[in-house]
Amino acid sequence: MEQPAAFEDDRLKMALTRSVAGDTQAFTDLVREHQGMVFSIAYHFLQDRSLAEDLAQEVFLELFQSIDRIQSPEHLTYWLRKVTSNRCIDQGRKKHRRREMALEEAPEPATVSDQADPMLLERLQQSLATLPEKQRLVVIMRFQEGLGPAEIAEVLEMPVNTVKSTLHRSLADLRKGLTRKIREVRYAFF
Amino acid sequence: MHFSEDDLREALKRKDPGEGFTQRLMARVNQSKAEVTTQLATKKVNGKFLAWWMQRPAWAMAVVAMLLLAFGIGGYQYSEYRHAEEMRIARAKQQKLQQEAERARDQAIMALEIARAKLNHVLQHAQLQAEPNDKIRRERL
Repeated sequence: MEQPAAFEDDRLKMALTRSVAGDTQAFTDLVREHQGMVFSIAYHFLQDRSLAEDLAQEVFLELFQSIDRIQSPEHLTYWLRKVTSNRCIDQGRKKHRRREMALEEAPEPATVSDQADPMLLERLQQSLATLPEKQRLVVIMRFQEGLGPAEIAEVLEMPVNTVKSTLHRSLADLRKGLTRKIREVRYAFF
Repeated sequence: MHFSEDDLREALKRKDPGEGFTQRLMARVNQSKAEVTTQLATKKVNGKFLAWWMQRPAWAMAVVAMLLLAFGIGGYQYSEYRHAEEMRIARAKQQKLQQEAERARDQAIMALEIARAKLNHVLQHAQLQAEPNDKIRRERL
C-alpha cells in the first residue's frame, strides 16, 4: 500500500518541478490531477455548472502564473483549496446569491448517486445552497474534501473553535431545512 | 427526514468538470503564455537599451544636457512667441476700438449737421410767415 502512494507523490513532485520549469504538458497533468477538486468546490458552492467551470479555469490560470511559488504537491493542494474558497466567496458576494435564494429556488443537482436515496441527496444539495457562504464552505471542506477542523481552519483562515461551531450549526441548519422541505411536500400532497 | 454524514459525503462527492475542461483551460494558458512572452520580449529590449546607456554615462549626460538645452531654448522661444502674439492681439483690439470711436464721432458730427440744417429750414419758414403780418400792421397805423 505504501509504494503506490509514494510513487504518486513522486509523480506529482516531478510534474510540479517540470511545470515550474515551464513544461506545459506537466502543468496539464497537474490540472488533470486537481480539476475535480477545484471544480467540485466551486460547483457545490455556486450550484451552477458554467460559473463553476469559469471559476475553476480562473483558479488554474492564477496557478499557472504563480506556479514558481508552489513548494510541494501538498502546498499545491492547500493553495488550490484556499484560492478556490476565496474566489467562491468573491463570486458569491458579486451575485448576492445566498440570502436571496429560497430553498425552492435552489437549482436541481446535476447527478445523484445510485446507491443513496436520490431524493435525499437532491434535497441535501438544495439545502446546502441556502447556507451562508462560510458555513457552506466549511461543509464542503469537511464532507467533500474530508478535511479535519484544523485543516479547514488553515484553509479558510478561521479559528479552529469557530470551524467546529460553524460545522455544528451548519448540520443543524441542514437538518432544519430538510425537515421544513419535507413538511411542505407533505402539505402540498395532502 | 434524517441524514447521516455519509449521505452528506455522497451528496458532496467530487464531480468531473467534463471532457473539454482541460483543453479549454490549456488553450487559455497558452494564450496567456504568449502574452507573457511578448511582454518579456518588450522588457528585454527595454532592458538592453537601458544597459547600453548605463555603460556610457558621459554620453547619457551629454544627451540629457542637450535635451535640457533644447527644451530650454524651445521654451524661451515659445514664451517669446506667446508674448508677441499677446501684444499683437492687444494692438489689434486697440485699433478696433479707435476705429469704432472715430466712426461714432463722425456719426455724431453728421447728426449735428442734420439738426443744424433742419433748424435753419424751420427758422426761414417762420420768418417768411411773419413778413405779411408786419405789412398789414404798418398799413393800419
